[in-house]
Amino acid sequence: MERPAYRARVERILEHSADTRSLFLRTVTGRMPFYSPGMFISVKIPLPEELRIRPYTIATSPEDGEPFELIFNLVPNGRGAAWMFERKVGDLLDFTGPFGAFTLERAPDRETVFIAEGTAVAPIRPMLRRALSQPCSHSVHFIYAAAKPERLLYRAEFESLAVTNSRFRFEPLIVQGKELYESLSDEVARRWVHGDGERRRDFFLCGIGSGVLKLRDLLRGAGYERRAIHYERW
Amino acid sequence: MARIRVIYENGSPERTIEFDPAAAPFQHDGQPGSVLDVLLGHGIHLEHACGGNCACTTCHVIVKQGINSLSEATEQEEDMLDRAPGLTPTSRLGCQAVIEDADADIVIVVPRYTINQVSESR
Repeated sequence: MERPAYRARVERILEHSADTRSLFLRTVTGRMPFYSPGMFISVKIPLPEELRIRPYTIATSPEDGEPFELIFNLVPNGRGAAWMFERKVGDLLDFTGPFGAFTLERAPDRETVFIAEGTAVAPIRPMLRRALSQPCSHSVHFIYAAAKPERLLYRAEFESLAVTNSRFRFEPLIVQGKELYESLSDEVARRWVHGDGERRRDFFLCGIGSGVLKLRDLLRGAGYERRAIHYERW
Repeated sequence: MARIRVIYENGSPERTIEFDPAAAPFQHDGQPGSVLDVLLGHGIHLEHACGGNCACTTCHVIVKQGINSLSEATEQEEDMLDRAPGLTPTSRLGCQAVIEDADADIVIVVPRYTINQVSESR
């Protein structure tokens, strides 16, 4: 079965910092299909010698419609990201999808903790919107870590969300001079492992490298249900 | 030399290749020496929407023969496989299953559907 392909035009570019930006895309062939918060699209990167496929998570909510937003940063030797960084307003790019298993389909029915770092906020941002879409009594936490304040994207948006939703707690965490996941693990252990015996919580973790897996192991090892620990390692 | 025979559940003609696992990686996506790496490097397409990063199930394959020649599945791969339709006890993600036996003789089936094709048809 041939998978449908789509073409989108770059409608707007947002520079978050010198090495981090967002592309706002609008489909020009076909319509963006159904997707869930957390999903990504597979962008076709036409390098001179080959066509590569690279995933980029949709940072906007399905409810927002188009244009939809992809966020990324330049990474050393990352040819896909370099190609994306060269895109200009009006450029076209081809993709398939959306895809992905790290998703939040519906508002959770119990306390939920979201944890992300840097650009890995992309799937968490629409998940938070979905999580807060229904009135409920349980808490929703978001710990957002970065090495520098300017690496915390959409900070004002999350702060505003916390003002309008009394059950949402936004907790930015700037980690300087210490390994980021060490700090996150300490924080998670203090509050949700040693802090109480409650184990009926959901966690959504997204970040770069093996630190995400260490957080997963910490929580599962502490007695949380395997399927309550949702994660995506970039 | 190792060998992989690829059978397609959708009826596409099957393919067989021989290769030297020690020559991995054969291209850029998936774990070096993985089923995905070997197939792509030998001109056989296997879908890998996430770029071979264990973030989707589009490279789900069912290993019919030679499963002991493959690396053990990690917890991350098992977590992801839980989301694959048509899961079997010998299911693997092509991007994560590394061929460790220089003389492996492996047969895989590429399922007709992936989770994303299921969701796209909703």
